Amino acid sequence: MPGIDIAIRQILIVNAILFLLFFVIDIAFFRKKIKRPLYRGRLINALITIGILTMFVASIKVFTWPLLLQIFLLNTVDLCILILATTGVVLIFKTSVTTNFAQGMMATFGAFFATTVVIRLMAKYSGSQTLYLFIGLFSGVLVSFLLGLIIDVGIIRRGRHVSSVGKQMITMGLVMVLMGAIPVIFGSNPIALPAFSIDVEIFNIGEHILVIPVQNLYAIVITLVVLVILFAALRFTKWGLGVRATASSEMVASMMGVNTRAITAMSWAIAGGLGAIAAFFYASSGAQVQVASMVGVQVNAFMAAVLGSFSSFGGPIVGALLINIFSSIAPFYDGTWQVVIVYGIILLIVLAKPLGLFGKKTAKKV
Amino acid sequence: MDRMMRGINRFIREFKAIVKHPYFGYVFFGMMFLILLLLRNQGWVTISVINTAVIVMIYTVISLGFSLLLGFGGLASLGTAGFVGFGSFLMGYLHGVLNYSLGVTLVLSLSVALAIGLIVGFISLRIEGMYLAIITLGLGEILRQFFISYDTFTGGFSGRSFREFTLFGINFVSGDGKYFNMVYIIVVIMFVLAMIATINIIKSPTGRALLAMKNSDSAAQSMGISLIKYRLLAFVLSTVFALLGGMLYIMHTKFSYAPQWNLSFSLEILAAVIVGGAQSIFGIAIGVFLIFGLKISVLNYIPFFQANPALIVIFNGALIILVVMFYPGGLIRLLQTLKYIVVKRFGLLKQKWRRYRYGEDD
Repeated sequence: MPGIDIAIRQILIVNAILFLLFFVIDIAFFRKKIKRPLYRGRLINALITIGILTMFVASIKVFTWPLLLQIFLLNTVDLCILILATTGVVLIFKTSVTTNFAQGMMATFGAFFATTVVIRLMAKYSGSQTLYLFIGLFSGVLVSFLLGLIIDVGIIRRGRHVSSVGKQMITMGLVMVLMGAIPVIFGSNPIALPAFSIDVEIFNIGEHILVIPVQNLYAIVITLVVLVILFAALRFTKWGLGVRATASSEMVASMMGVNTRAITAMSWAIAGGLGAIAAFFYASSGAQVQVASMVGVQVNAFMAAVLGSFSSFGGPIVGALLINIFSSIAPFYDGTWQVVIVYGIILLIVLAKPLGLFGKKTAKKV
Repeated sequence: MDRMMRGINRFIREFKAIVKHPYFGYVFFGMMFLILLLLRNQGWVTISVINTAVIVMIYTVISLGFSLLLGFGGLASLGTAGFVGFGSFLMGYLHGVLNYSLGVTLVLSLSVALAIGLIVGFISLRIEGMYLAIITLGLGEILRQFFISYDTFTGGFSGRSFREFTLFGINFVSGDGKYFNMVYIIVVIMFVLAMIATINIIKSPTGRALLAMKNSDSAAQSMGISLIKYRLLAFVLSTVFALLGGMLYIMHTKFSYAPQWNLSFSLEILAAVIVGGAQSIFGIAIGVFLIFGLKISVLNYIPFFQANPALIVIFNGALIILVVMFYPGGLIRLLQTLKYIVVKRFGLLKQKWRRYRYGEDD
C-alpha cells in the first residue's frame, strides 16, 4: 500500500521528538527541583497519549478508517479472549502474588472437556447445535472452576510460605502435570470445535459496508455479561471486598477476620472459569483445541497485565485493548515483524511508566 | 625411618591442603566427568549417560549465570532462552557460515553478550520484580521472532546446522567419535571454569554487594553500593554465561532451531535453579540433572514409563511441585539435612566407641 513509508517515518519522528522533549524538560527543569514535582507524571502521561494517538492518526491516514474499523471488528473475538485471560491472570496475581503460568493449561483442560461434551452430544442427539455448545461451554467452565479450586486447596494453599518465584515454579510444575494429563484423558489428537455460527452480519455506516461474524457477537455478549457480573461482584459483594483486602496485604486481611483461604480458593476457581471461556472461544473460532493452544494468549495476557498495571482490574483490560489494536494494525505495516513491533511498543511504554499505564505507586517500608 | 615418617606426614599435610582448597570440589567434579568419558570409550557406559552428562554440564553453565541474577541479585528474568539461542546462532553463523576463527567468534559473541546485558540491565533499573520477569519474557519473545524471521542469520525454520571444526590445527574430524570427545572435553573445561568463576564472584565483594541488593535496594544503596553498577554487572555476567552455554550447545548438537528457544526453555532453566537451590553451585547441578537429565538418562529405561510416556511429564511436573513445596530452599537443603544426620550419628557412634574403649567417665 502506498504511503506506508511516510506513515512509519511520521510516527517515528513524532515519537522521537516527544522523547527528546521529555528529556530536555526533565533535565532542564524537573531534575533541578529537590522533590520530583507531581506534574512530571502528568507530562509523561500526556506524551504517551500523544504518541499512541499519533500512531492511530497516521494509521487512519494510510489505511482509511473503514478498513481499520473492519479489521478491529474481525478481531473482536481475539480481544474477548485476551480480556478474559488477562482478568484471570490479574485475579490470581492479586490474591496469590504470583504470575500463574498454568492459566492457559487450566483453560485448555476446560476447553477439552467442553469439546468432548459437545461432540458426544452432537453424535447422540440431533438438536440445536447452539444449545449443545452452551451446555459444553457451561460444563467446561465448571470443570475449570473445580480444577482451579482443587489446585488452590491442594497445592497453593500449602505453599503459602514459598516465595513468589517459588510459586511461579509450582505453577510451572502444574503446566507439566496438565500437559501430561490432557493427552491421557482426552486423547492426543487436536479436536475441532464447531462455531456458534458461521454467518456474518452486514451493516452500513454511511456508504461503507462493514461485516462482523455472528460468532464474534456471541463472544462479545458472553464476555460482557461475565465481566459485568465479575466487576459487580468485586465492587459490591463481600468476596470482592475480601479480594481487595487480600491484595493489599494477606496477613493484615487475615488478622482482620477476612477468610483469606476461601478468598484465594474462589479467585483461583474463577480464574480457571474465565480461562475456560477464553479457550472455548479460541477453539471455536477456527482453531482446534490443542495442548499448547493457549500459550500465545497467555503471554499476551501477561504483557497486557503489565501494560495496564497489576494493581487495578480496569487497567489490564485497557492494556488488552491496546495490545489487540496494535497487533491487528501491525501486520499491515510489516507482516513478519508483528510480534517485535507490538512488544517493542509495550516495552517502550512500560519503560516510561514502570508500574504500567494505570499503576499506583505503593509506599514500601525499607 | 624418621625422615620417611616426616615425608609421609608432609605428604598427608599437602594432600589435606589440596582437598581443603575451595576449587578442589569443582575440579574433582570435572575429573569425574572426564573419567565417565574414559569409561564410555572402554564401552562400559552407554551413550545416553554421556549425552546426559554433556547436557547437564552445558545447562549448568547457563543456570550458574542465571543463579547470579536470581539467587544473588534477586532479579527474575525470563529471557534466558533468547540469549542462549543468540549464542548458538552466533557460533553457527560466524564460525560455521562466515568461517571466522574460533577466537574472533568468541570475542564477537562476548561483545554481543555485553551489549545485550547492558540493555537488559538498564531496563532492570527502571522495572522491578514480577514486572521485570514479564518484560524480559517479552524480550525473549522478540528475540525468538527475530530468530524465526531473520533467516540468513539463523536458517529460519530449517534451523542452523553446524559443521565439525578443528582445534589447534589437529584434525579431530576423522570419525571414531573424535570430534565428540573433543567437544566433551571442551565442555568439561568450560563447566569447571564456570563453576570456579561463579564461586569467585560469590565470595568476592561483588557477590556480597549483589546479596545486599537482593535483600533491600535502599539499604544497599545507603551502605554505598552502586545499584547501577552491580545490576548491570549481574545482567552482563548472566548474559555472558547464557551465550557461552548456547555456543557449547551448538558445538555439541551441531544444530540449533529457532522455535526451540521459547518460553518453556527459560522456565525450565528457572525451575532447575529453584529446584536445586538458587545459592548453591552443586545444588544447581542437581537441579539441572533433575529437570533435563532425569528423563533421558533414567526414566526412559524404566519399563513402567516406557509403557506410558505421558506419565514422564507428569512425574517431572509433580517432582517440581513437591520439591518447591517441601524444600523451598532447594534440593541442596535435603542433602544438607542428610549430611547433618549422618554427622550426628557418626558422633554418637564415636562417643559409644570411646566409652567402650576407655570406660565410662565419672
